[in-house]
Amino acid sequence: MKKLKFSLKLSMLAVCLVAFMPACTNLEEEVFSEVTADNFFQTEAEFISALGAAYTSLYGYMGTTSLWAAQEVSSDEMVVPTRGPDWGDGGHWVRLHQQLWTAEDPTVGTTWNFLFGGVSATNRLIFQFEELQNPLTDPFIGELKALRAIYYLWLLDTFGNVPVVTSFADADPAPPTNSRSEVYAFVESELQAALPNVTSNVDGSTYGRVNQMVVQAALAKLYLNAEVYSGTPQWSKAAAACDAIINSGNYNLENDYFANFNVENSGSSEFILAIPYDAVFAGGNNIVMQTLSYLNQQSYNLAAQPWNGWCTLEEFYNSYEDTDLRKGQANTEEGPSPVRGNFLVGPQWDVSGKVRLQDDGTTASGIDPDGVPFTLRAEINELFPEAWREAGARNSKFEFQIGGQPNMNNDMPIFRYSDFILMKAEALWRMDPGSGEALALVNQIRTRAGVEPFAELSAENLLAERGREMFSELQRRTDLIRFGQFATASWFGKDVQPECKNLFPIPKSQTDANPNLVQNPCY
Amino acid sequence: MKKLFTLALLACATVLLSAAQLNAQRTVSGVVTDAEGEALIGANILEKGTSNGTITDIDGSYSLTVSDGATLLFSYTGFTDQEMVVGNQSTIDIALAAGELLDEVVVTGYGTQKTREVTSSITSVKAEDFNKGNVNDVSQLLQGKVAGLVIARPGSNPNGDFSIRLRGLSSTGASTEPLVVIDGVLGGDLNSIEPQDIASIDVLKDGSAAAIYGTRGAAGVILVTTKRGVPGQTKVEYTGQLSMDVLDRAPDVLSADEYVAFGGGTDLGGDINWFDELTQTGQSHTHNLSLSGGTSSTTYRVSGNFRDVQGIAKTTGFDRFNLRANVTQKALNDRLKITANISSTTEDAGLGFDEAFRYATIFNPTTPFVRDENNASFSRWDGYYQQVLFDYYNPVAIIEQNVRERNTKTLATNIRGDYDFTDAFSVGVLYSSQRSNAVFSEFWDQNSFLTGENAGGQATKRDDESQDQLFRLEARYNTELSGNTELSFLAGYEYQDFEFSGFGATGGRFLTDAFQFNNLGAASDFNNGLGSVFSYKNTNKLISFFGRANLNFDDKFFVTASLRRDGSSRFGDENKWGLFPAVSAGADLVKVAGLSGFDQLKVRIGYGQTGQNVGQSLLALQRFGPTGNFFFNGEFVPSFGPVSNPNPDLKWERKTDLNFGIDFAVMDYKLTGSLDIYRSKTDDGIFLFNVPQPPNLFNQTNFNVAELENSGVELALNYNIGLGADKSWTVSFSAARQITPKLISLSDEARGVSIGGFIDGANLGSPGQNGTPLVRLQENADLGQLWGLVINEDKPVNDDGTWNFQDVDGDGVQDDISDRAVIGNGFPAWTLGLGNSLNLGNLDLNVFFRGVLGHDLINTFRAFYEAPGQISAYNILRTSGDIPNLVDQPQFSSRHVENASFLKLDNLTVGYTLDAGNLPSGMSKVRLFLTGQNLLTITGYSGVSPEPRLDDKSSSFRALAPGIDRRNEYFSSRTFTFGVNIGL
Repeated sequence: MKKLKFSLKLSMLAVCLVAFMPACTNLEEEVFSEVTADNFFQTEAEFISALGAAYTSLYGYMGTTSLWAAQEVSSDEMVVPTRGPDWGDGGHWVRLHQQLWTAEDPTVGTTWNFLFGGVSATNRLIFQFEELQNPLTDPFIGELKALRAIYYLWLLDTFGNVPVVTSFADADPAPPTNSRSEVYAFVESELQAALPNVTSNVDGSTYGRVNQMVVQAALAKLYLNAEVYSGTPQWSKAAAACDAIINSGNYNLENDYFANFNVENSGSSEFILAIPYDAVFAGGNNIVMQTLSYLNQQSYNLAAQPWNGWCTLEEFYNSYEDTDLRKGQANTEEGPSPVRGNFLVGPQWDVSGKVRLQDDGTTASGIDPDGVPFTLRAEINELFPEAWREAGARNSKFEFQIGGQPNMNNDMPIFRYSDFILMKAEALWRMDPGSGEALALVNQIRTRAGVEPFAELSAENLLAERGREMFSELQRRTDLIRFGQFATASWFGKDVQPECKNLFPIPKSQTDANPNLVQNPCY
Repeated sequence: MKKLFTLALLACATVLLSAAQLNAQRTVSGVVTDAEGEALIGANILEKGTSNGTITDIDGSYSLTVSDGATLLFSYTGFTDQEMVVGNQSTIDIALAAGELLDEVVVTGYGTQKTREVTSSITSVKAEDFNKGNVNDVSQLLQGKVAGLVIARPGSNPNGDFSIRLRGLSSTGASTEPLVVIDGVLGGDLNSIEPQDIASIDVLKDGSAAAIYGTRGAAGVILVTTKRGVPGQTKVEYTGQLSMDVLDRAPDVLSADEYVAFGGGTDLGGDINWFDELTQTGQSHTHNLSLSGGTSSTTYRVSGNFRDVQGIAKTTGFDRFNLRANVTQKALNDRLKITANISSTTEDAGLGFDEAFRYATIFNPTTPFVRDENNASFSRWDGYYQQVLFDYYNPVAIIEQNVRERNTKTLATNIRGDYDFTDAFSVGVLYSSQRSNAVFSEFWDQNSFLTGENAGGQATKRDDESQDQLFRLEARYNTELSGNTELSFLAGYEYQDFEFSGFGATGGRFLTDAFQFNNLGAASDFNNGLGSVFSYKNTNKLISFFGRANLNFDDKFFVTASLRRDGSSRFGDENKWGLFPAVSAGADLVKVAGLSGFDQLKVRIGYGQTGQNVGQSLLALQRFGPTGNFFFNGEFVPSFGPVSNPNPDLKWERKTDLNFGIDFAVMDYKLTGSLDIYRSKTDDGIFLFNVPQPPNLFNQTNFNVAELENSGVELALNYNIGLGADKSWTVSFSAARQITPKLISLSDEARGVSIGGFIDGANLGSPGQNGTPLVRLQENADLGQLWGLVINEDKPVNDDGTWNFQDVDGDGVQDDISDRAVIGNGFPAWTLGLGNSLNLGNLDLNVFFRGVLGHDLINTFRAFYEAPGQISAYNILRTSGDIPNLVDQPQFSSRHVENASFLKLDNLTVGYTLDAGNLPSGMSKVRLFLTGQNLLTITGYSGVSPEPRLDDKSSSFRALAPGIDRRNEYFSSRTFTFGVNIGL
């Protein structure tokens, strides 16, 4: 009897056990506040939002250690000096300017990640839209291929020898390096192939996106630098691509150079492709933070204290004539300059323009030659370790908004019309140094800047004019290389370097992760 | 699901039925002594199976009326329990045998075990051995008490958490904190238990003990057992404490006079000691009232605990109220036992601003005033003195103008039923529910130079909730095989799910400061798009099957084997289930070989595999998330893109561990001790790798590739020096030698995952030292390597005022990249604890010394603020005087790495127990005590606290970057406590 009772209890127990076993061995992961491949990419709104990922990748263009730093700080137009305790950062800013960067330096890694992040995003979306076969999204495919070619154009320019990866689903886990000329050929064929597949509309619907003019602009950049990229110059193709833009009638020079760089610069008639930066929706343009001094917070009632870092070289500042409208005028002891320019120098004032900023702190007064009354100087005493806090003309090309946020509202041009005027001029001049058309094109730009026209063109004055016009638009490094004035030249803080410095090293994090990558010479 | 549990519980409870009892009386009296005939005062005598009992008086005598046929149970702490059948006797004198070790019970995974049967490495700490004084955190009770367990909190932030590391470091990317089990409930929150309510804490140190906890056992297991009522002893106890916290150490900066004399700084005319301005004498009081008792069938304990704690930094501290009730009821002829535990905790904490310590260090000591409300030049900042410099803020303004608080509620409840089907077979069911929520509130005043001014006033409110429920079913079977061989089995199923959710918002630009964080809607940021709002939810679950067999062969040989199969939803699809085996064995050589000279000499060996779960949910999935906004047809639309790569192979980290130990007792169990030698290897350590992009969508993926190795030796000794009847002196000593953990590998060629031999991380930071990694992870080398430039010690500064670093690679050029080397290690080599517990009748004395040796610390205050030139911007350290001719900027090097070995007088308690005869009626015990904590530190370290830094929260390396003393750290304090303990 007892035994029976016992086994009865046992079996009932077994029942309770079995009752919830199956329910409780399910280990499926539940997702609540994120989306996965299973529950995303279903509706048209989601397709558009997915396409957005290819463009939001572009916002990294101006990252503090991204392409922006790679193209600007490595050149003769910008520098980030070590100002006492500030901006030493393990020396990588100094190395970037001296062209002594290493494969572990942040700018090298961030730039690679930015560019290949864009490539990956476009590859994935191309794959997804090809799978989808939806009339709404089919046109996106050509657009994405063109955008991918633009990311590769920048890879070609910065790292040169990189893997060309176009597939998503069956991508090689460790893709091998392609040579720079292979990458060049790839970019050329992709851009050519994309031309008929992207929209010819140039209007609000394509603002910030790829259209035919953008593809032409990318081709113009590719061809103008073809000799550097592939060994063979393509001046006439470059001129033709510029012509396609110039003759399209879609663009014209703004009367005011600075209309391109105001807070409200969206839709400038010179913008072929711009990144629609926005303080709220599309952060990433932080020039105001990078360049201004802490004290300048009061000059513009900024929502954050700037970092007192980036400035231009004195030589570069002096390459502008004083009458050049682009240079602007220095502030004076009477008040802030009434005219805006590419540079902010001189005595600094609060937002009313009536109260002189005082560096009554301990820092600058001890070291800076101007002491307590806060003044910005074009002169930079040294690159490191004790550059004055006041050293260097600051980059005010993009208007500072009163009450502005760390993320600026100013859109950032990637391809701007006046660049293509100068590019066409250069292509013509390369083919015929006496070209009158070339001279006229350059003088068109000079006239707008309020300076005397050139009598003739030379390598020096063309390069210098491009520098003055395109300052702070990520063109300088590429231009210097094309004119043979980058690695092998010297300027403030930077000695002559071997020519192989014209390319950046492949980041260590990437060569660690992918044994098939080949490091560039020099590194 | 929940419904199912309830049903199951009911079902399983109703399976059980039946009961009965009987009667007649007699009086028994006698004397209880120890083996040497000394009377034992307060020994327990209980009529077995009832609540009828008494205790011995001052002469050791007792008298008790019992039923016919009764059996008396004699017990006394530190002695072996003894049973006597009364029969016809009216006098029973009994001598209890000392037997602390023999029959003491330790808590093991899912059960208890007699100490003599234990074959794994387990350390048990009883309440009387806990650290005393103003202890607000359970971890602190154990600090220094368990060989092999490093417990460290660098500063004395009352709201700060302790880091706990068992036996080096066995994880690269999963959790490094041990699993906490409170009264059998896994995943308990140490902050939700009141230290006064804890009876004992047992620490499972080796794999053979912890393997039964499977994928959560690799960092060790801390088993907390709360106090219960004792049948027949109704007790009301009150403990009250008053504490004072004073600043212990602060960075050695220049005073105003020294600052002026040093030159180079701006003399602003004042004289302010910023540490004095920032800190206070923290005054705390705690009250604990408990009520316990019971009968043979019901026991209970209820306690209420109140703590009002102030930190040394103004505005930091908390008020906490905790209520706990434990009830046990037996029924059905004692075959059924139901236990219910409820614990509720509410806490209001003032978190303060740790960054204020850093600014107090560097703020100019000649500042003319802290605040002058009438000074128009400073009205912008409410009159607080400020200067516009990078990263330079008046520390007093930070804490006075702004508010940071946290309000926490925790409710932990569980009920457990055990039914003995036969004497040999029993089944247990447990259901537990734990819930907590924390509301974080922060407000930055419009006139606060730090943050608030920029944002026009900024407020944050966030609520984080977590809950979990656990269901467990276990069956036990004990049998006695031929003769003296006992065999016991345990089998179980466990289900636990966790849910984390929350929401919050941050907004700025308020018209007025009046709202603080109480009216977020008034922030204009929500109109202009700058405000941020979020909510989230994620869950995970763990399902487990486990079993264990214990064999005791004639008290000579002992064998334990266990196996756990664990499944977690966090694992990738390819690896949902893991298996964790363990086996251990021991032999008591005294019994086996008749060894003389020893009371016990047990050798044991254990092998076990444990795991450590993936630290976050959803890491295995390809996820998409918002990637900003896309300008589409003239307006911004949200854009979505990948935020992770799919990772179907993701799984637990696996630790395999071998432990060899000896437990011994000599001199009539007066001297006992244990020695453990261990070696463990971790495979499949999780690490976040950079992956090539393309082909990957995202540039980082977690892979299970790391291999680590740990080994060490631990010794624990306890010497009970008898001083006579009511006196005792116990000396306890523990020492652990941990060999620096080794990183064997951090790559997997088959999967193409590699760090290329090494990877640098843990950045020093701004100003000026971003891009300065402090730690190098290197394959086939020690973990915890501090990495940097090497200073020339003899001549740190060149004649031209630059740093004189060594040309490490000998290429004739000193450069910042190739001339770096290993310049220290953040892992401690030795941990020591020495306790003296002296009981002299009314007077008791407890002295505890603690030491941690062999670890280095990077003194980041020195790395930033030692260069004399810094005086132009910041106050500097007095050590700047050692390098007066330095012109260079601060640059991290071996100069800033210091040996931080220390020995401290950690705890000193003097207690006085009033004579029982002098007590007011109704009181059974009054004890007064004084405790001093952190009284004296012997160390060569020049920073604030030499405690090891085990977790670098400022970098993604976290536990892989020990040894960095960061600047935003709360300073350490010294504490004095007066307390009273009253028993009714």
